[in-house]
Amino acid sequence: MTSLEAPRRFAFAFGTAFAVCYAFAVGRQLALFTVFPSLGVVLLGTVQSRDFGDPALGFLTPAMYWYGWTATASLGALVAGSIAALVPEAWTKRVWRGWLWVVPVTAMSACVYFTLPWFRL
Amino acid sequence: MTATVLMIAHGLVAVALLGAITHQALATWTPARSPPGSFFGRFRAVPSASFANAIVVLYLVAVALGAIVYLYFIVDVRPQLERDAHFSALGLFDLKEHFVAIGLGLLPAYWVCWRRPLAEDLSASRAALTAIFAFIVWWSYLVGHVLNNILGFSS
Repeated sequence: MTSLEAPRRFAFAFGTAFAVCYAFAVGRQLALFTVFPSLGVVLLGTVQSRDFGDPALGFLTPAMYWYGWTATASLGALVAGSIAALVPEAWTKRVWRGWLWVVPVTAMSACVYFTLPWFRL
Repeated sequence: MTATVLMIAHGLVAVALLGAITHQALATWTPARSPPGSFFGRFRAVPSASFANAIVVLYLVAVALGAIVYLYFIVDVRPQLERDAHFSALGLFDLKEHFVAIGLGLLPAYWVCWRRPLAEDLSASRAALTAIFAFIVWWSYLVGHVLNNILGFSS
């Protein structure tokens, strides 16, 4: 039974941390990389179209951050999951399991907040 | 042409995922206690654990296809939606991408919760995660459908 506990702790910590890291990445614009599909270019970090081209032509080179945000969240979640899997079981036993769904629902609510500007246009 | 084929494949996978997660969510939240007689009764009387692996695989395939189609969407479709001031639709789509990503992170926990033999101490987590996934899949399907229809098929 103990051998099953580490994967469980990893999965639960990964899911919870992913949600937190993703909401944080979106809120703070922390993409690990930025994709410019029309140019076929991938640049490290959060890069705005206007940073390397004429601002007036920004619409020709749309930037995509979703992949970068997901990568940022995966990295943070991987660290959190690994720590949770490695620490002694007693340390994680008292953690309320409800965080597994409360945190993602909160992160989803935060994403709704970040998206509100679209609905005010 | 490639984008259209990928979009149709994405939609078909989404339909299969929608069916599987709806079966599982209903069977989890309102399990049938007597031999089912009605259509709804039979719909929720399925062995919900048997859907878990299929849901994980379908979710991953749907996200992978969606992530590829997203490139075409940003270059070809989104500028038209912005030009035509479909800002609410774009906001709904942004929510779809956020929810799907959070679901991606929850997938390992969901799989662990549904691993057989089902752990009794995980029944609440199992039910909660299934409800979250049902919401994400339904939201994504409906928003994707609306966005696909705004400009018309293959426009």
